[in-house]
Amino acid sequence: MGAFLMSADTTTPLSAGEIVGAYRRRTARRVLLVLLAALALCTTILIDIITGPADLSFLRTLHVIVDPSVATVKEEVIIWDLRMPVALMAVVVGAMLGVAGAEMQTILNNPLADPFTLGLSSAASFGAALAIVLGFSVIPNVGGLLVTVNAFVLSLFASLALFAFTRLRGVTPEAMILVGIAMLFTFNALLAFLQYGASELQLAQLIFWQLGSLARATWAKVGICVVVLLIVLPYFLSRSWALTALRMGEDKAAALGVNVSLLRLMVLAGVSLLSAVAVSFVGAIAFVGLVGPHIARIIVGEDQRGFLPLSALAGALILSGTSIASKAITPGIVYPIGMITSLIGIPFFVSLILSQRKRHWQ
Amino acid sequence: MTFMKNVSGFAGAIAATAITIAAAPNAHAEALTLTDIAGREVTLPEMPDKIILGEGRMMYSIAAITDGNPFEKIVGWKDDLILYDPDAFRKFEAAFPEDAARMINFGNPYAGDFSIEAVLEAEADLVLLDVGNLFKAEETGLIEKLDKAGVSVVFIDFRRNATENTVPSLLTLGRVLGEEEGALEFVDFYMAEMRRVTNVIDQIPAEEHPLVVIENAAGWQPDFCCWSFGPYNYGRFVELAGGKNYGSTLANAYSVDVSLEGIIEADPDHIIGTGANWAEAKPEVTATLLGYEGDPAVNAEKIKALASRSGFDELRAVKEGNYHSIYHQFYNSPYHFIAVQQIAKWLYPDDFADLDPQDTFDRMHAKFMPYENSGQFWLSVGTAGN
Repeated sequence: MGAFLMSADTTTPLSAGEIVGAYRRRTARRVLLVLLAALALCTTILIDIITGPADLSFLRTLHVIVDPSVATVKEEVIIWDLRMPVALMAVVVGAMLGVAGAEMQTILNNPLADPFTLGLSSAASFGAALAIVLGFSVIPNVGGLLVTVNAFVLSLFASLALFAFTRLRGVTPEAMILVGIAMLFTFNALLAFLQYGASELQLAQLIFWQLGSLARATWAKVGICVVVLLIVLPYFLSRSWALTALRMGEDKAAALGVNVSLLRLMVLAGVSLLSAVAVSFVGAIAFVGLVGPHIARIIVGEDQRGFLPLSALAGALILSGTSIASKAITPGIVYPIGMITSLIGIPFFVSLILSQRKRHWQ
Repeated sequence: MTFMKNVSGFAGAIAATAITIAAAPNAHAEALTLTDIAGREVTLPEMPDKIILGEGRMMYSIAAITDGNPFEKIVGWKDDLILYDPDAFRKFEAAFPEDAARMINFGNPYAGDFSIEAVLEAEADLVLLDVGNLFKAEETGLIEKLDKAGVSVVFIDFRRNATENTVPSLLTLGRVLGEEEGALEFVDFYMAEMRRVTNVIDQIPAEEHPLVVIENAAGWQPDFCCWSFGPYNYGRFVELAGGKNYGSTLANAYSVDVSLEGIIEADPDHIIGTGANWAEAKPEVTATLLGYEGDPAVNAEKIKALASRSGFDELRAVKEGNYHSIYHQFYNSPYHFIAVQQIAKWLYPDDFADLDPQDTFDRMHAKFMPYENSGQFWLSVGTAGN
């Protein structure tokens, strides 16, 4: 909780001027950090767009982005149809997973909560497997969107189950985590069952899906993700004081006038939408939703006004970095990004943890 | 033994094996000891007559070497033939309706649903497995369990290392089925037809080989490009047909996932997608539905749609009419010499002006198969304006 709590615990009386000054400094620092992260993100997006198997120069690529009319057909296809949707999809999905993980950790008061550990991703994988292996469609007549729609519906179903569970009386956040883990194992078991019967091609498709891939990104998908993010994120930001209060403890939040159960419900709805849309487009990507928020917390602390935007940016940075790295391994070969996210993020995460002397989860 | 002449390279060792086996007297002796494709020495106490196929598509080879009813010694299989090549299944069904109906579906041998009890219930004495799944078979303890139950396991392979393993696999099949003669006849045919291509390609310097991209199961996933092969299977077919396989330039792996951007940058001379009649099991596929019931009018539309996917439409290969589609299941059958011939004809139309793969396929059916050839097994997209 960093600076926020430390000043509250301080016993030495401070003058009003000092308190205001300290508050301003903290606010300025927060804004600066968010701006820095945003700048870093712009850099990775740019790197993501200018790298690839095709050898296009930096300036030429920029020129084509700014003014598409100068592009040859080949440049237009490569930059506008292939590289940009992937680069932007990485950013948007990373942000969605970062935000979803951040708020799950907040409302469930658990540092291990994220869309992956609570079974939403496995539910989506199972939905995809139903489509890939059995050709079974949850919603009839969706044609080529079968896999995506199934994944979305199943993931939303898992969220609803979690959701319904919160409505039961006397259910603690700890119990909800356990329900989430139970769902994770259930869907994984069902998934394994389908995998066993799968043919060679189905298995290849399924594994690629389970490991997450940006290769299917299109402008339409990027658009849908942006719209969802633009609906959910402002709502979360508008509730940031209440969410910050919730992290100090349910009772304290209630004493401050927060309707805790309603807040939890609304936030869970938003989180469900974010994760269901994200995983149904790119497959199951572990790690981002879990670690993005932790990185943000270590850097700015618990205050949601800094924590939430920075969680989104950290998630986006991890996935964008992964997208670049996945292209650099062997140009021309597509690697599932899910298996690279951890390799990219873990060294950074561990170094942050080691450099941190105080406990960052309280 | 005339086929010893002209043998070189990859077929040398194989042919030597063939000689040894052909020369071995008394192949019908009571106990039969052989080395299978996985390098395991297997002793069959007597000639098996209740055989389970780990894959239904093993029927392609069994039918080709058997004189008479290929189902005679088969009690069951996995239903992959019915699901992924329904055209071929219906050919078998029409020729041997009772036998096709009698086949027990044992499911995936590497899955929990392949029940040893069901194998014993069927009184099976031999299970034929695909060597690509050797590791899984060892890991799941399948071989051991079957061994304990007194059921032998023999590995064959027409997919993983298709061009290297087809001849020994056919010989192995010939021995366990007691169809050595049929197997040798087919091996002769196979080698002669492969040589018709490789003898010409040997004369063309490697640096003149055109660049070819194989798109494995084009249209299986409508929103993804592309699965491809390294120097195996269709990747190897391309190399034997005198092409430089794009996937092989990236990785020495069986399966390679290539990016569309990489393909655009590589600017291949030819793109070859594989297709089969998957639409019955998976209605949303946009693949060409090639096979015994392949309809040229339908497939002409399908290939046009595949070639005009975003990014593909501007490729030089597509514009020059060098976007092709070929029957996917050649990748898991001993008939892949047909694919090699047709690819060679696409790459070097002048050098192979006299080669007629359709005629080869028809002759093969007339000579070896229990049914006649039909349908469509390959096509190319028309050039602009066609």
